[in-house]
Amino acid sequence: MIRGRSPVVRSAIRAASPLALLVAAFLFFAGHNQPGGGFAAGLVIGAVVALRTVAGIGRPQDATRWFAVGTALVSVVALAPLLGGEPLLDQVIVSETVPLLGKVKSGSALVFDAGVTAIVVGLFVAVFDGLDADELGRDEVQV
Amino acid sequence: MTALVGLLVVVPMLAAAVGFVAGERQWVRDILTVGSLAGATAIAGILLAHVESEGTVVLRVGDWDPELGIVLVVDLMAALVLLVAMATILVVQLFAIGQRRTAWGADPQLSGPLLLVLTSGVVLAFLTGDLFTLFVAFELILVSSYVLLTHQGRRGQIRSGMTYVAMNLFASTLFLVGLAIVYASTGTVNLALLAERIPELDDPLRWGIGLWFLVVFGTKAAIFPLFSWLPDSYPTAPTTITAVFAGLLTKVGVYVLIRFHVLTGMDDLGPLILTLAGLTMVIGVAGALAQDDVKRILSFHIISQIGYMLMGLGLFTLAGIAGAIVFLVHHIPVKTVLFLVGGLIEEREGTSALDKIGGLAQRQPLLAVLFALPALSLAGIPPFSGFVAKLALVDAGIEKVVVPIVVIALANSVLTLVSMVKIWTGVFWGSGDDESATPIRILRPGHRLMVGATAVALIASLAIAASFGPLWDLGERAAADLLDSRAYIEAVVS
Repeated sequence: MIRGRSPVVRSAIRAASPLALLVAAFLFFAGHNQPGGGFAAGLVIGAVVALRTVAGIGRPQDATRWFAVGTALVSVVALAPLLGGEPLLDQVIVSETVPLLGKVKSGSALVFDAGVTAIVVGLFVAVFDGLDADELGRDEVQV
Repeated sequence: MTALVGLLVVVPMLAAAVGFVAGERQWVRDILTVGSLAGATAIAGILLAHVESEGTVVLRVGDWDPELGIVLVVDLMAALVLLVAMATILVVQLFAIGQRRTAWGADPQLSGPLLLVLTSGVVLAFLTGDLFTLFVAFELILVSSYVLLTHQGRRGQIRSGMTYVAMNLFASTLFLVGLAIVYASTGTVNLALLAERIPELDDPLRWGIGLWFLVVFGTKAAIFPLFSWLPDSYPTAPTTITAVFAGLLTKVGVYVLIRFHVLTGMDDLGPLILTLAGLTMVIGVAGALAQDDVKRILSFHIISQIGYMLMGLGLFTLAGIAGAIVFLVHHIPVKTVLFLVGGLIEEREGTSALDKIGGLAQRQPLLAVLFALPALSLAGIPPFSGFVAKLALVDAGIEKVVVPIVVIALANSVLTLVSMVKIWTGVFWGSGDDESATPIRILRPGHRLMVGATAVALIASLAIAASFGPLWDLGERAAADLLDSRAYIEAVVS
């Protein structure tokens, strides 16, 4: 594909990746009260994975581990309240004043969201493993 | 008690996550799958006992108001079906552990954890109190079932898997659009609130919603004419997968169909549903008669049996709904046993095609018994559970004086028996000598576990027939709760 043919695109993807991750981080934290959240953040990271795969740059591997970590995080957060006699998925909300950021409101839902993100990223990794995009790229280079 | 309800959904999920990373350590996966399924069965049993004496259990997830949040509702119908479903999956998993070392077994690294994800989805579908969570549950079931169906990558699996995926994705899309229609016209997707608001809508809109969801859930339940995805895809999967799918997945469709249409008072659709029920029965059994492979015949039977449950729903009477629920409970273990026996035959003979097997009754008398009893039960011969379940439905039909469906239901029983006889003569009778002596293989390790699991499931289904009196009472109470939606609404909203 693009790999080995267009250094411009490769460099651009390389440079854009951290920025995209920043956007993902923003969406991740914005998700509490505004559009965004763990799923949206996962999609953006997934887009980075997609671009890096096509361009032949390193990307996250081992979809299973992403799935497992994500599912474990989600389940643990869902189950934890039961220990305290609260209903399933009940959340703890923390409100703190932090230097630089001012008043920050967050809670255990953040960990839940992190699990969701991990599952979505894992899905992207699995899809690109399945499509064997790496192989496709290699063929193109040989031509 | 509400904590148990939550555990039922989350624990299989968590066990699946750990199972995925267990790698080569098969014993970890075995402990996880069997342990969590046994736990789920125990919880389902406790819940049934509790709901039976104390009434509906409602879990408000995250303590949100029912209008905003997710509610899980365990009423009598849910608890009853849940217990049977969990026990069935547990038995199939034991069978799967026994079958693992043979060529027919599913890949344990994938199938164990994915079966747990599927279980979680099935639980969620049974318990959810709102339509959107139901959609999520369906997706959970479907995504894991796509992988389970096709993960061996055989040609037939991929080909029929495509039909399966396409049909179900289409139904899911319709479901999503239907959700939008319901939300736009009532302002909620909570089932209890819908039970209040949908009956107040104008007739055309109400009928539209009823028909729309009849198509959506009907596709999942494989009713006529939306069944085409089923008979091709099911027989290609590994036995244990087919057994779970056959026992449970279409029944999840029927279950939500009953729940939604009864709660929202869609009585006007009764005649249409009865017509579809008759067609589903006849077409299903006609398809079964035309097949010459054990697993394919059994797959077509699923469709024809769905017709009976639909018949109970279509009557919209107490006896009818109770009959449908009881039929559901009878059908899950019986169908699963039949497919497990199909798997045993396949493992024994290397094929499930009728013309290649013969004389199995002489060589494997135990297998013959394991097949004969549930087969007779499915056909509705006394004293098995199929007979009482069908009798209840026919009785309900006569009570409401709907002659055609009663006639079809009775005639259909005979045809079912005929197709079972076809399997019997093909597989178990005859000398089998013309086969130039099928080599009698040494019992593989795990074979005992497979036969044992099948036998346990069979005993469970016989127990259903033996305890039919109490079961019928439970079914009647569950149906009464559904028909009188006030009880449900009160439990959820207040």
